[in-house]
Amino acid sequence: MAPLLGKRKRRLQLEDSSEELSAKELDPLEDDYSALFRQYFEANFEPLPTLQLSGSSNVIDASKDANADAQTDWEGLSDEDDGLAKVIDYSAPKHGESGLSRDEFKSFMTSKPPRAEDSTIAASSSKGQAPTDKDDNETDAANLKKDLALQRLLKESHLLEDRSSLEVSGKGRHKALDLRLQDLGSKSSVYTQQKMPIAQRKGIVAKATERENLRRREALENGVILEKAGQGKKKTEVKKRERGVGGPSVGKFRGGTLSLSKRDVAQIQGPKKREKAKR
Amino acid sequence: MAEPAQKLLRFKSHRNLAYRLVLATLTGRAIHISQIRPSSPTEPGLAPHEISLLRLLEAITNGSQMAISYTGTTLIYKPGLITGGVSGIGANGGVVKHELPATCTRGISYFLLPLCLLAPFSKAPINVLFTGAGVITAATQTGDMSADSVRTAVLPLYARFGISNNIELRILRRSSAGANGKGGLGEVQLLFPHQVRLPKTVHILNPGNVKKIRGIAYCTGVSASNNARMIDTARGILNSMAGDVYIFSDVSSAPSVPSQEQPDAKSRRKSGIGFGLSLVAESSTGSLYSSDVASPSSGGVTPEDIGRQCVYRLLESVSLGGCASLEAAPTMLILMAMGSEDVGRLQLSGEVVGSETVIELARDLRVLGASGWGFRQATSGPETDIVVSVVGKGVGNVGRKIT
Repeated sequence: MAPLLGKRKRRLQLEDSSEELSAKELDPLEDDYSALFRQYFEANFEPLPTLQLSGSSNVIDASKDANADAQTDWEGLSDEDDGLAKVIDYSAPKHGESGLSRDEFKSFMTSKPPRAEDSTIAASSSKGQAPTDKDDNETDAANLKKDLALQRLLKESHLLEDRSSLEVSGKGRHKALDLRLQDLGSKSSVYTQQKMPIAQRKGIVAKATERENLRRREALENGVILEKAGQGKKKTEVKKRERGVGGPSVGKFRGGTLSLSKRDVAQIQGPKKREKAKR
Repeated sequence: MAEPAQKLLRFKSHRNLAYRLVLATLTGRAIHISQIRPSSPTEPGLAPHEISLLRLLEAITNGSQMAISYTGTTLIYKPGLITGGVSGIGANGGVVKHELPATCTRGISYFLLPLCLLAPFSKAPINVLFTGAGVITAATQTGDMSADSVRTAVLPLYARFGISNNIELRILRRSSAGANGKGGLGEVQLLFPHQVRLPKTVHILNPGNVKKIRGIAYCTGVSASNNARMIDTARGILNSMAGDVYIFSDVSSAPSVPSQEQPDAKSRRKSGIGFGLSLVAESSTGSLYSSDVASPSSGGVTPEDIGRQCVYRLLESVSLGGCASLEAAPTMLILMAMGSEDVGRLQLSGEVVGSETVIELARDLRVLGASGWGFRQATSGPETDIVVSVVGKGVGNVGRKIT
């Protein structure tokens, strides 16, 4: 019986669909246009639910007939409750963990205190933000890299020969490296000539200063503001100390008198603050 | 070179003893408490759980001195430094093992709440294992919350003060109150490894709306159907009020001890049988309201009644409103008072502010040298709500001043 039942069910469905069509074909008088629309709609999209057809008695009869041999006892749907919907409330006590995620179970039932709501919000929002933060960091890092590359290109572009690549190579690479070292604070270039005739050196220095002066003058005339001029090298005066055997360890012995400068006196006396503190 | 001895601060009566001891320890002031149950003809003086709390304080501090009079009605307590689990002083491998006597009538939360208050100001991490015949993890008739509620309703509050790392409350063995409400055989371990110099200043002014209710139904040594019945009743009431209700069930066997009448190895005596329910309502802004009801040790109460009673208590706590429930308010206020010298604000229900616990706490703090609290009517929320402004004492953690 069981396999038969299954078959019958399928047939029933088939019948239903065929009945729908037949019902529609039978009914065109009633509502021509709506049926046409319906047909068109169903042809294009999915079949509409049969509930709308339940008004026509044909279908109900047919389904009754179809069910008749399966369950003879069934009387069909009763029409007595006049459209009053029967309400079944399933919201009454439910059991089982179905409503709760495993994470929540874990977070609540472990020995650790459950995270407060704001912290979970923060956590979730930070979860949401975390990727964006990561993205931000990544883009920041990428931007920094590009910035550095651009700066280097600007500084070292004069080393580039007319080549398509933006990477300096060969001798240019060494020069670029030297430039970078100077940027980082190296005192002088590796390529400065260490030893040369003094006249030549003077000439080079003079030429450089002349060029610099010219640049500054032109800038001044054109109203361009340049960087402040470097102070050049200050000549540190190295005072010669009397180094003779009988010489004084402090001050100067001149004309039979030991003259102490203010500095010497201060040095002998030591810092003033300390003096006050001692008192 | 001894610093001038500070005058003893004098208190009377046994009420609020736990918080007084905590505040004395935190502020480092010596206190003298007199008239501790002087008129009780049978049990004058300190109760077993109070003695036990003193022992716990002694175990986690270094240099505490306490003197109790013959009758136990007078106590002098000079606090030491809160060292926590420093090996050699009271701890073994960082774990302070604290045994509670079988005569203890208070739930474990009586010890946990003060201990949690001291723990952030400790020098070393706090790791206390409560064992012995007096550990009741369930709620008690004496009004203590269950260990579950401590974990789910009080410990999350510490996160607001920037204290949240790896805090754990392990309920190793559950136990309800034993015969006559005395003793139990539970086992609870508190790990509090997050120590701070000063708790953060908080401004909690928005109670929010309750959107989540969680709970734990526990039973020890009785049928698990008791849990189901409690949960069923509780959900029956709560489902119509909140969307997100879930109550977990925890079933455990009763702890047992070798019976004393027949000391052969096989016969064991069960103790601490019962069941109970702990509910926590959480608002959208993280305010927590909790309630706890457990079956009395004498029995005779149906799980339905327990469930219903617990729900009603929760609803009452929620209806009071404010950002902290009556159970949580002392903890929050003490942490605020021990914070940095800055004004923290907390919106509380008028009923909570007017409760005996909070008023006593405010008076005790005043005596111990904290600045007074400011009250003003809340601008948002119900008219009865009061914003309490607390200026921190800025004492903080002496052990972590130089780090």
